[in-house]
Amino acid sequence: MHEQAWEQLPLWISLPVSLLLVLGGCIALIGCLGLLRLPHFYQRIHGPAITITLGAGCILIASMLLFSALETRPVVHELLITLFVLLTAPMVSMLVMRAAVYRDLRKRRARPGTKDGEDEVYPVTQTQSRGDR
Amino acid sequence: MTLSALIIAPFIGSLVAACLPANARNREAWLAGAIALAGLLFTGWLFMQADPGEVLYERIAWVPALGLEFVLRLDGLAWVFAMLVQGIGLLVVLYARYYMSPADPVPRFFSFLLAFMGSMLGVVLSGNLVQLVVFWELTSLTSFLLIGYWHHRADARRGARMAFTVTATGGLCLLAGVLLLGHMVGSYDLDAVLAARELIITHELYLPALILIALGALTKSAQFPFHFWLPHAMAAPTPVSSYLHSATMVKAGVFLLMRLWPALAGTEAWTWIIAGAGTCTLLLGAFAAIFQRDMKGLLAYSTISHLGLITTLLGIGTPLAVVAALFHTLNHATFKASLFMAVGIIDHETGTRDMRILRGLYRQMPYTATLAIVASGAMAGVPLLNGFLSKEMFFAETLLVGGDSNWWMSYAALAVGVFGVIYSLRFIAVFFGKPDQPLPREPHEPPRWMRFPVELLVLTCLVVGVVPAISIEPILHQGVVAILGEATPQYDLAVWHGFNLPLLMSFLALVLGAWSYQLLRRRFNLRQREQAPLIHRFSGAQAYENTMLAISRAADFMLRHLGTRRLQPQLLAMTLALLLVPALLVGMLPGLLAPAPHPADAFFVMLWVAGGACALAAAWQAKYQRLAALALAGGTGIVTCITFLWLSAPDLALTQLMVETVTTILILLGLRWLPPRLRDAGPAAAPPWPVRLRRSRDMLLALGGGLGLALLSYAVMVRPMPDSIASFFLEKARSEGGGSNAVNVLLVDFRGFDTMGEITVLAIVALTVYALLRRFRPAAESIAIPAQQANPVDAATRQPPAEQANSGYLQVAGIYMRLLLPFMGITAAYFFLRGHNLPGGGFVAGLIFSVAIIVQYMLAGATWVEDRLHLRPHRWLGYGLCIACATGLGAWAFGYPFLTSHTAHVELPLLGELHLPSAFFFDLGVFATVVGCTMLILVALAHQSTRSHRLPEKADPAREAR
Repeated sequence: MHEQAWEQLPLWISLPVSLLLVLGGCIALIGCLGLLRLPHFYQRIHGPAITITLGAGCILIASMLLFSALETRPVVHELLITLFVLLTAPMVSMLVMRAAVYRDLRKRRARPGTKDGEDEVYPVTQTQSRGDR
Repeated sequence: MTLSALIIAPFIGSLVAACLPANARNREAWLAGAIALAGLLFTGWLFMQADPGEVLYERIAWVPALGLEFVLRLDGLAWVFAMLVQGIGLLVVLYARYYMSPADPVPRFFSFLLAFMGSMLGVVLSGNLVQLVVFWELTSLTSFLLIGYWHHRADARRGARMAFTVTATGGLCLLAGVLLLGHMVGSYDLDAVLAARELIITHELYLPALILIALGALTKSAQFPFHFWLPHAMAAPTPVSSYLHSATMVKAGVFLLMRLWPALAGTEAWTWIIAGAGTCTLLLGAFAAIFQRDMKGLLAYSTISHLGLITTLLGIGTPLAVVAALFHTLNHATFKASLFMAVGIIDHETGTRDMRILRGLYRQMPYTATLAIVASGAMAGVPLLNGFLSKEMFFAETLLVGGDSNWWMSYAALAVGVFGVIYSLRFIAVFFGKPDQPLPREPHEPPRWMRFPVELLVLTCLVVGVVPAISIEPILHQGVVAILGEATPQYDLAVWHGFNLPLLMSFLALVLGAWSYQLLRRRFNLRQREQAPLIHRFSGAQAYENTMLAISRAADFMLRHLGTRRLQPQLLAMTLALLLVPALLVGMLPGLLAPAPHPADAFFVMLWVAGGACALAAAWQAKYQRLAALALAGGTGIVTCITFLWLSAPDLALTQLMVETVTTILILLGLRWLPPRLRDAGPAAAPPWPVRLRRSRDMLLALGGGLGLALLSYAVMVRPMPDSIASFFLEKARSEGGGSNAVNVLLVDFRGFDTMGEITVLAIVALTVYALLRRFRPAAESIAIPAQQANPVDAATRQPPAEQANSGYLQVAGIYMRLLLPFMGITAAYFFLRGHNLPGGGFVAGLIFSVAIIVQYMLAGATWVEDRLHLRPHRWLGYGLCIACATGLGAWAFGYPFLTSHTAHVELPLLGELHLPSAFFFDLGVFATVVGCTMLILVALAHQSTRSHRLPEKADPAREAR
């Protein structure tokens, strides 16, 4: 049944679905590149953010369109996924960022006074910019 | 035919008695007495009905496929013993009603007593040897419970342990012997074994089987060298001593020898083993009995001696000796039970059983004294009492054994006769003379009905002693015929056979005994003697204690030298064994097949490269960067999920995802309690060579293990797929299981019983983890709050978790996550409901639901969540298992096998037709069990954090109980 439905998919559905999928994939790729390339933690955090929101959003809309057309009824499960993503993603980002902020604060505090780095739990490199994720 | 009622009734009575209130002495005695009386009448009636010599059977199929059945067999011997067990049982119940103090937990006593009666009847009536051994061990168990009845007393506990160890070990030997016997004959059926005498005694396994069976019988009947447990068993209440340890249970060994007499007896080995042990016991017991201080101790050693006498008679092996053995068994039961009861009365009324203190009781309790004197007359073998008859028969048999030249056996018999007279005189000495010390209590006659059983038994002694031919012969004859069959000799039970050697021996024993008693009293101060001369050094009890100590020391030694509490050596040994054992067992793998050429998808390969890299990196980081290692392991898990999805196993992928999530959280919770990293003091020096050697060894082993597993997987995977029943499930899922998701139908319908077992195991695991963690306290070095959470820079360190979530830095997260809870609940319900037709099901739904709850725990801490959400994982577990089980049992109500699925179509007003398979409810049970398990384990881990900050003195029992 599905085999047939795939082939009979009208252009006005397949075109936006394809576009959205490509767009979503590109955004996700850009997000990943950002994670890889950006120099600073507080900049790098935006890479996943864009992937999760825009990239995942595009793909979810595409999925809704496609399956609604395939099953000839409105398929809205993706709304629930969207909800989950929208509720969890910012929270995770906040927690990660907060952890980063406090790590920096601890480091700043530890540097002038203490000698053997009693606050140093994770090995901390001297530069803030790279390599201590 | 309702022979089984004889056995079942006491056990039911035992259960009922256990449920009666503690102060219902009368009701329990009535119950037990009624059961014993009914059994007695019924047994008597059964035998009246049957033709002489007829054997009654009752067979109940147990596992028909294996040919196992529960066989009850009532022949003459079984009848005699059944009458004995129930008759004495009835009298003992009556006696115990008055003997037991109202302060004692009487329900327990009568419950155990009835259970013992049932087990003993089981031994007597068994028509199958293995079944006999089972009941045999049950009598050991009930005897253990009854000896330890006053478990607050150390001597009772010690005596119970000793008796149980000895008799139960003997029972195990008996089991082995019986198995050998069954192997020889080819059947465990008693009739088949009894008919196969020639086969058995010519078989090469005859001797081992005989030794093992003799071990069982000799330990049970307290024969040398296992006799030591019986005196220590006297710590039991006197009714128990009277019933179990003189009249019935110790006779079980003798009974077994009689039972198997037709099949085993008559060989030289039989005579040497049985008669040898019997003769030693006979002399030793009688000698030791003379020098006891405790009246019960005297009776115990006398019992040992009399049992030795019976064993000796059986060992002698002539038909007349068997007659004498059975006769003496009955006689001994009557006079010894009455003597024990008399001692119980004396103990009850005077408060002591010490023969050094007791004097002149005849004046205060003339009736009891007369009864006890008559009974001890029977014990000593005074004419016109029953003991005289069987002892005379014993003398006659010993004269036959040696023939004309060898008189040693006769001398031994005479010595025993003399000893018997001495200890009987010593026993009755308590009634005469003048009291020289005040007794703990002023003695007087016992209540009327407490004396009644003694009177009845003593009367029996007299009647049997005077007119044996009328009173006992018909009963005895039944038993004898059942043992001997056609070999039954002509015998004549009569008081007077004319002047002959046995009669002379009897009188000689009486005269010599009386004279020796006087001599011992005058010259050796017998009354105040502390211990038996000569033999007190050979203490069987001490040997037993030494053996037990040696065993526990050896176990300790083994544990110390072969076991370890450390994980590393265990892992080392296990991995080594896994590597070497299969290789040694099956040799090397045959040549591996090359993989079939298969188009590889580039994306899939990349996925696996990423997954493999994650796994390697996790192993690399595991030593110091545990968090990173965990994250990397999670990456591998995700790749596994995607692989399942890729290979069209959405159910597996879904489950794997949830399992991955839950386990990651679980390990995260556990990471907190691992010890912190030890910082190196200085720059890393080269490690010393033992360390390097160890590391290289571990490296090699790890590589070997990994490669071995990889090789094994590879070898399996390149093999062609065997024909399996997978296609069957795929075809039938829709038509017969009523669902189009074959995986779920398989789990809850086709293989429902497997799933049932799996959720049970899951529940057990969860409870075990909970039990282990309940008393677990973190190591001292990880109790303190980790440095990451204690830095004052962080404002959150000054807030408890609940405050952080409600108004602190987790406020946003708190709002979001609480909003998420109902949605996650919906998701769980969605996956649960669609499970039968689409990927999902109870297991996955349960995991999702658990994650929803865990999120709340992670957010606001255990205290806050548990104040608001009364989640009781134990109940989830219990209800889940109950629902699953009830669904399965529901099929029985309609006459189908366990767990038969049925699909109902229900019309609901709003929803329309609902497709409701019974597997749905089963799945509900799975769901609840999974939620319960996950929550139980995670909550147990989470509670560690609430404990660690508490100081020991502020421990709160309410929370610990949770």
